[in-house]
Amino acid sequence: MSTTLTAPRPTRATRPARVGARRRKTLTWIATHAIAVAMAAMFLGPLVLVSLTALMSDEQALTGNLWPESFAWSNFADVFAKSHLLGWTLNTLLYAGLGTLFMLVSSVPVAYALARFRFRGRGLAFLLVITAMMLPPQVIAVPIYLVWARVGLTDTLWPLILPMLLGDAFSIFLLRQFLISIPRDYTDAARVDGCSDFRTLVRVILPMARPAIAAVALFQFFYCWNDYYGPLLYTGINQDNWTLSLGLATFKAFHSVQWNLTMAATLLVTAPVIIVFFFAQRVFIEGVTLTGVKG
Amino acid sequence: MRFVPIAAAGLTALALTACTAGKEAPPSLGAQPKPSGAASQALPAATVELWHGFQTDAEVKAFDEAIAGFNKKFPQITVKVTKAVQDDQITQAIRSGKAPDVAASFTTDNVALWCKTGAFQDLTPVIKQDGIDLTVLPEASRSYTEFDGRRCTMPLLADAYGLYYNKALMKGNEPPKTLSELTKLTKELTVRDPDGTIKVAGFIPSFQYYENSPSHLGPMVGATWYNEDGTSAIGTDPAWKQLLTWQKELVDWYGYANLEKFRRSLGDEWGSAHPFFKGKVAMILDGEWRNAMIANDSKAKSLGYGTAPLPVADDKPDLYGSGFTAGTVIGVPKGAKNPQHAWELIKHLTTDTDSLVTLSNALRNVPTTKAAMESPQLAADANFKTFLSIFAHPKTSTLPASVNSVFNQDAFSTFLTNWEKGAVKDLDEGLKGVDKRINDKLKLSGG
Amino acid sequence: MTAGPKRREGLRALLWLSPWIAGFSIFFVYPLISIVYFSFTRYDLFTLEWVGLDNWRYLLQDERVWISAKNTLWLVVFMVPAQVIFALAVAQLLTKVKAGAGFFRTVFYLPTLVPMVAGTVAFVFLLNPVGPTNQILSWIGVSGPDWFGDASWSKPSLTLLGIWGCGNTMVIFLAALLDVPKHLYEAASIDGAGAWRQFRSITLPTISPVLMFSAVTGVIYALQYFTQAMIASRVASGATDSAGSTFTPGYPDQSLLTLPQWLFHVGFRDFSMGYASVLALVLFGTSMIFTLILLRQFRKAEEVLS
Repeated sequence: MSTTLTAPRPTRATRPARVGARRRKTLTWIATHAIAVAMAAMFLGPLVLVSLTALMSDEQALTGNLWPESFAWSNFADVFAKSHLLGWTLNTLLYAGLGTLFMLVSSVPVAYALARFRFRGRGLAFLLVITAMMLPPQVIAVPIYLVWARVGLTDTLWPLILPMLLGDAFSIFLLRQFLISIPRDYTDAARVDGCSDFRTLVRVILPMARPAIAAVALFQFFYCWNDYYGPLLYTGINQDNWTLSLGLATFKAFHSVQWNLTMAATLLVTAPVIIVFFFAQRVFIEGVTLTGVKG
Repeated sequence: MRFVPIAAAGLTALALTACTAGKEAPPSLGAQPKPSGAASQALPAATVELWHGFQTDAEVKAFDEAIAGFNKKFPQITVKVTKAVQDDQITQAIRSGKAPDVAASFTTDNVALWCKTGAFQDLTPVIKQDGIDLTVLPEASRSYTEFDGRRCTMPLLADAYGLYYNKALMKGNEPPKTLSELTKLTKELTVRDPDGTIKVAGFIPSFQYYENSPSHLGPMVGATWYNEDGTSAIGTDPAWKQLLTWQKELVDWYGYANLEKFRRSLGDEWGSAHPFFKGKVAMILDGEWRNAMIANDSKAKSLGYGTAPLPVADDKPDLYGSGFTAGTVIGVPKGAKNPQHAWELIKHLTTDTDSLVTLSNALRNVPTTKAAMESPQLAADANFKTFLSIFAHPKTSTLPASVNSVFNQDAFSTFLTNWEKGAVKDLDEGLKGVDKRINDKLKLSGG
Repeated sequence: MTAGPKRREGLRALLWLSPWIAGFSIFFVYPLISIVYFSFTRYDLFTLEWVGLDNWRYLLQDERVWISAKNTLWLVVFMVPAQVIFALAVAQLLTKVKAGAGFFRTVFYLPTLVPMVAGTVAFVFLLNPVGPTNQILSWIGVSGPDWFGDASWSKPSLTLLGIWGCGNTMVIFLAALLDVPKHLYEAASIDGAGAWRQFRSITLPTISPVLMFSAVTGVIYALQYFTQAMIASRVASGATDSAGSTFTPGYPDQSLLTLPQWLFHVGFRDFSMGYASVLALVLFGTSMIFTLILLRQFRKAEEVLS
């Protein structure tokens, strides 16, 4: 991309007035891009500083020298050696993977019904979905925890994974928003052809809703990857059952304030998310747009 | 109404969960007659699960050695150790019925709650059965391991708090014995810029400074926390007022803003940038474990320092030599699968002299029994001995067990932060407010 | 209305919705009913005791509830608008950037992907009193504050973190801005309206439903604020990390205490399930108010768009 050549250039002999306007336009162009570059530096700054610290020796972290004196790549290996990072990653993958799968299985049909069926209470049902979506998770924590304790499943990730089988309000909301935008003609045509509800969903809706489904799946995966509160509540007891969020939160305490290792661990937890993002950028951005107010 | 059946279902489910979350517990300690005499060696083979809070390699190794000693006595018992366990985890595990057989905690804060609710089993019956003489433990240690007549934990190792001083920064002065000496020395040893910026502090009086908690400082004036009935005595014991007035005077001498600026510039308490290591403060209040941290730090180990008991109120010279103590406690949680085995392990760890000496030498904590303290095997240099004698001092005190221990300390500390800031107009009223908060909470948790 | 087909469709819908109805009953209706019940009891998972209004009375005496409320109010008044305004400014900037638009969009979005815990831990380090940020500030002669260690700076520090990760809001705004019909701007500029006037009289009114929606959801998330505050307190306090000391949320000086954290602490650290249920009901009540506002907003927007 030729970034330097995009500025408008006079092609023909121009009148003085238009030269003024052009100059102003060029100046605006420069100002806008200068601001953008400055902002980009501010957005990237933290990540750069974290990366640099992750490569420092323990003595150098928190000193005035921000550039590593020698690059200690072994810090990353140390993080694996000194913590259960590998186990935490597997737990996180289990939570995020199964959680996402279960969510899709349960939420797609519900969203489909909310978007397509005409029935009494449909509006109310949708309002309830939004209400559930906005409910702070701490409100219901006490009784739900007691139920899981009763069946002996605390100290595992199952109290976080199993409920996904019963639908996730946010995902239902998002999918419904997308499905409702699919013109009825498509499903009506399928109905006329004698398709059952299920066949209509699989044959007609699912292929069309692929981007929305991908977005919802990604969101769910990242939500689980990010989740701190849930694992803190249920898996606090045994380090072996922790997720990355939980491990990282206590990492500094367990390693007598070695900031370099803490930052290396921070990067290791962040890296997979960013890698996935680069592969699925479009899906992501489209999905986020869907969470806005429009259907 | 569509919701009626759902609500009914909800209520049924509620009735199901509203009872104890844990399942039926195995027989508790002392419920069965003890196999007589030496026959306890004939306990059936079993695996005992033990949780402790130690985390560094050296600590974990020392603990494993102590357990190896136990295994010589009881080869048929396998001990499965989990390290780096925090109290939160223990409490949670017990509440949800996933407790280990033995759990050790670094703090005494939860002992009252554990004893009162039965989260930890009462050890009294087995202590009687085995004829263990608890007077080998100093009184303070006995008191922080029990609550309301229920002894649900035993002291494993103890911490004692005293004064550390940097010999070079003391400029030939002896460590202070009274609060007024401490004030005088602090003023003498502090190095400041003309604008009040502190370069080197004599003593940091701030309650927010690492170990300067009210529980650690209270023994300097012999202050009491609770009345007989468990309500707060903070507002009525004049000793607290004495401590606070002394403290505020010193804070004001520095200037609160200057002191805060200095305090915030200090390194992390657990890292190598500790201000005492760096020669930024002449005298600090700290636990005996600081000795080991100094010895293990590559730079600080050459530090010339000494230790002494904390200075005490001028009008209470008989307190000198005493201090604050607390320590690691160990017990059998409710729901332990092999309580009798668990007790044998605890008995070994807390009363066997060799075991205690091994642990103390490795962890540099104070051993809890008289025999262990007097053992010739105990590695104790002069700096460490200071803490042994503080621990054994008859006036040495602890924070008495209370079901809301953490909350109460927190309520007091919050007030103290406001106090040193100068935001408290009327000290008496303020302390009464602390009393009220503590007593309200006591009522909430059912006395 | 022909009852036949519609009723049958209703039954089919019920079938399709059944997993969610079960989920809603188990994870919404049942817990709500039971916290009302538990709020009148003292329950520590071992013994359950009916105590009447004791827990509710304590609510009035618990100063931490008021501190949490004040902190949350701060977040609502400062953090939420800061995020919205900043996201809007960045989105607006992105509509103007011609060269490397894709690059900038990715860069501005990137921090949003950093997991919350990782981002918070990183910020506590970056904003350490002797950390990189204050180092850089000192080069230009500014002596930086003790961000996460100072009660008056801790919430602004979290606001910085929030602004840094405003990517989702930004993307939503960007889409809305790009949807504003071009011809409106052209007409306005022929009329001689400057950039600010164009923004005020064309952009803002057009995207206001989106803005409102973001603001209200922002408020609801502020009421739930938990992870970042908890981690920041935990990591910054340092001293409370040592084994044997109990962590009470809110460091420094309870400035980061929020109701969800207090509820978590009361319920799952103190195991006072009864009082925790009272706090849960308070939290439920407040978030319901804003959810209702959101729902109205939503209805309006749906009407406008459909």
